[in-house]
Amino acid sequence: MIQTGIPLQAPLCPDARQDRPAPILRLSGLAKSFGPVAAVKPLTLTVGRHEVIGLIGENGAGKSTLLKLLTGVHQPDAGTFELNGRQVRLKGPQDATEHGLGIVHQEQSLFTNLSVAENIVMGAGRKGSASTRGGLYRWRALHREAAEVLARIGSTVSPATIVGDLGFAERQMVEIARTIHVACRTAERQGGAPLVILDEPTSVLEEAETAVLEHEIARLRAIGSVIFVSHRLEEVLRICTRIVVMRHGELVADRPVEGVTEADLFRMMIGKDRHARTREAVPPMTAAPVLRAEGLTRTGAFRDIRLDLHPGRITAIVGTFGAGREALVRALFGAEPLDGGRLEVAGRAVAQWSPRLAIRAGLAYLPAERGVESAVGGLSAARNLTMVPQDRGWLLSPAGRRALAEEWFSRLDIRPNLPGQDLARFSGGNQQKVVLAKWLRLKPRVLILDHPLRGLDPGAGATVNACIRAAAAEGAGVLLLADTLEEALDLGHEILVMRDGEISARFDRTTDDPTTLDLLEKMV
Amino acid sequence: MKLLSRPDELRQAFGPPAIFAILLGLIAVAVPEFLGGGGPAIIAQQATPILLVALGQCVVLCIGSIDLSNAAIALFASILAALTLGPLGAAAPVFCLIVVTLIGVANGLVLVYTQIPSFALTLGTLGVMQAASLVVTGSNVVYVMDNMDVVGWLFTVQFLTLPVAFWIAVVLAAALWAFLRFTVPGQGVMAIGFNERAAGLSGQPVNALKVLAFGLSGFFAGLAGLCVISISGAASSIGLGSDLLVPSIAAALVGGTAITGGVCNPLNVVFGAMFVALIPVGSAAVGVNPQAQSIVYGVVLIVAVAATMSRARHGIVK
Repeated sequence: MIQTGIPLQAPLCPDARQDRPAPILRLSGLAKSFGPVAAVKPLTLTVGRHEVIGLIGENGAGKSTLLKLLTGVHQPDAGTFELNGRQVRLKGPQDATEHGLGIVHQEQSLFTNLSVAENIVMGAGRKGSASTRGGLYRWRALHREAAEVLARIGSTVSPATIVGDLGFAERQMVEIARTIHVACRTAERQGGAPLVILDEPTSVLEEAETAVLEHEIARLRAIGSVIFVSHRLEEVLRICTRIVVMRHGELVADRPVEGVTEADLFRMMIGKDRHARTREAVPPMTAAPVLRAEGLTRTGAFRDIRLDLHPGRITAIVGTFGAGREALVRALFGAEPLDGGRLEVAGRAVAQWSPRLAIRAGLAYLPAERGVESAVGGLSAARNLTMVPQDRGWLLSPAGRRALAEEWFSRLDIRPNLPGQDLARFSGGNQQKVVLAKWLRLKPRVLILDHPLRGLDPGAGATVNACIRAAAAEGAGVLLLADTLEEALDLGHEILVMRDGEISARFDRTTDDPTTLDLLEKMV
Repeated sequence: MKLLSRPDELRQAFGPPAIFAILLGLIAVAVPEFLGGGGPAIIAQQATPILLVALGQCVVLCIGSIDLSNAAIALFASILAALTLGPLGAAAPVFCLIVVTLIGVANGLVLVYTQIPSFALTLGTLGVMQAASLVVTGSNVVYVMDNMDVVGWLFTVQFLTLPVAFWIAVVLAAALWAFLRFTVPGQGVMAIGFNERAAGLSGQPVNALKVLAFGLSGFFAGLAGLCVISISGAASSIGLGSDLLVPSIAAALVGGTAITGGVCNPLNVVFGAMFVALIPVGSAAVGVNPQAQSIVYGVVLIVAVAATMSRARHGIVK
């Protein structure tokens, strides 16, 4: 860790025209339609220097399209687009970065088999970097260059580390460094400042890591400006200086953060008030457990796990990243092996276990990584909905599928209401609803949910949460890995805390009423 | 129509028939007597073995694998048929189909249980089958002595001026299309091609479906082998049917099958196979030197695949 203690230097990109700098970004009348659908209606937005702008909106409100316009993935149908006072027409994300506008995605795009320094310099693009000559690396210069960039954003990662060995938050830092590296140089040359877009950077971060990111954003703000896209409203309020809200492709609010509350944000996004929910009574443990685990162990992941899931009850497991709860739920579903212990489903001991057997026994598992593990892009939403094979013969019934899709599309408010459309063309939140519906329609005995709200806007999140409660009320035993402690406390009837592969605490909400602090204490 | 609103979907649905029609139109203009004479029947005859091998290939491509051995399996089937038609009579075709289907199943089982990439595995099987063909025939041509009538009718009987074998292959293509679209295993095959992990976590029997795909590939290759025997009445390791691999893969690709998996329309593979069979005729018609025909073949194929293949998925092509 060679950069520890290097002070924050003078702004990386000094303002050439100190007196009255041009805004970094100026959009006027920017619009984009896909066929008959106006994804972004003509909108005007100016981003000055040293701003942190919170861009929020429901899934499908047009945020993603706006980001794609900003990074040149889509070309606008109309309007002008200025970066640092120059009108631009971007050809793609790389081109955008070279114009001083970088984007960091939620799904990371680093080469995990290469070092931090290589990753950072790789983004340098056609203009190249001082660290390569004739297509060959000059390793010392490469490491120096990377170390400089990392120091400027206050990261303590060593440039020689292999990216695959880093934690998620650190990788995000590397990604930011890579973006900043190029964006800053361009902005500097043109006498402007860089703009960095962080697309839902916190949705996969644990709380401690989020703090690191916040620090990062503060540093970025000293250099240029940041557009921060997030569904976590309290974070937006804490981190941002200005809030921009999109709804149905329009910019419906653009105001400083002062005096705005979470409830205001919710209202601006959804167009109606959030219903305050009072805690309902915790259902009693009536029947025998639907799933019972005793002494479950997997070397290097978790050990000696005792777990009872009762019909009608939601059990939430909390823990830091690496506490082993992901591996545990995957093993319960048969997606990963078990080394020891006893597993019973509906009173019957399990000998052989695989997802197929688990599904037959009445389990359902919603994986966290939607794109890789649950959504089958390329197949229609309706086919995804009916993906799980059931013992009803070999023939599919298109009519039955249509009816089922119609029912679940309206029940979960999945938009757009086109069940025949390729699932990949739905927004993330709506994909998640389809995948959830796939399991709910089977009326599972045990419903295992791994970060069900990841990447969902608050409106969609509320729908999904209602579904989870409804599934429990209908008698499913629910096992939930929540995104946040608040979510776990809000939904869970029982809360298990995992630390280093073991259950470190159990809270039964009939008798205990833990706070987030209580949980945190047991987590670390 | 809403479902076909995007250019890529249009290309997938109508690209193969369109490109076939264009080539046919060009030939009709250049050589007007082609269509009136026996041209279509000859093309259908040449297209049939290609189509049958391509149908097997497209199922394997659909799960995201490739079967380089199925053309060699087809040749092996023809040799096997030539050897057994005499002693077994009408049971010979059944016997051949069972054997080659089992060879395909063996391919699938090895793939599933050893996790060898299909490219490497079937390259190995390809070598094995070629050598087996040589050994079984003793490097000679095997002539069918008796019971030729068991398979002969496939190309002597005609329906709507085309050999009945061609129509059988078209019906099988339609059946395969229906299988992929309207059955549980068919949907599973497509799901594996698009996202194998998600398919597995949704309870699809991934391994069984992969074995099924390779088994189908072997079965269709066997049918192609029977066609070869029916056409020529003899089989050898270098004779008719020994050069089906490239045309059959080309037919699957021109038929819009994505080499990345998931996207596959057997009905369009019919047009792909006819297109591939037409290319030599077309290039001869416009007076290309026979020695240079492979150049035309290659260039036309590249253009045709570019015009019909689906590249919708993130622009990633392997």
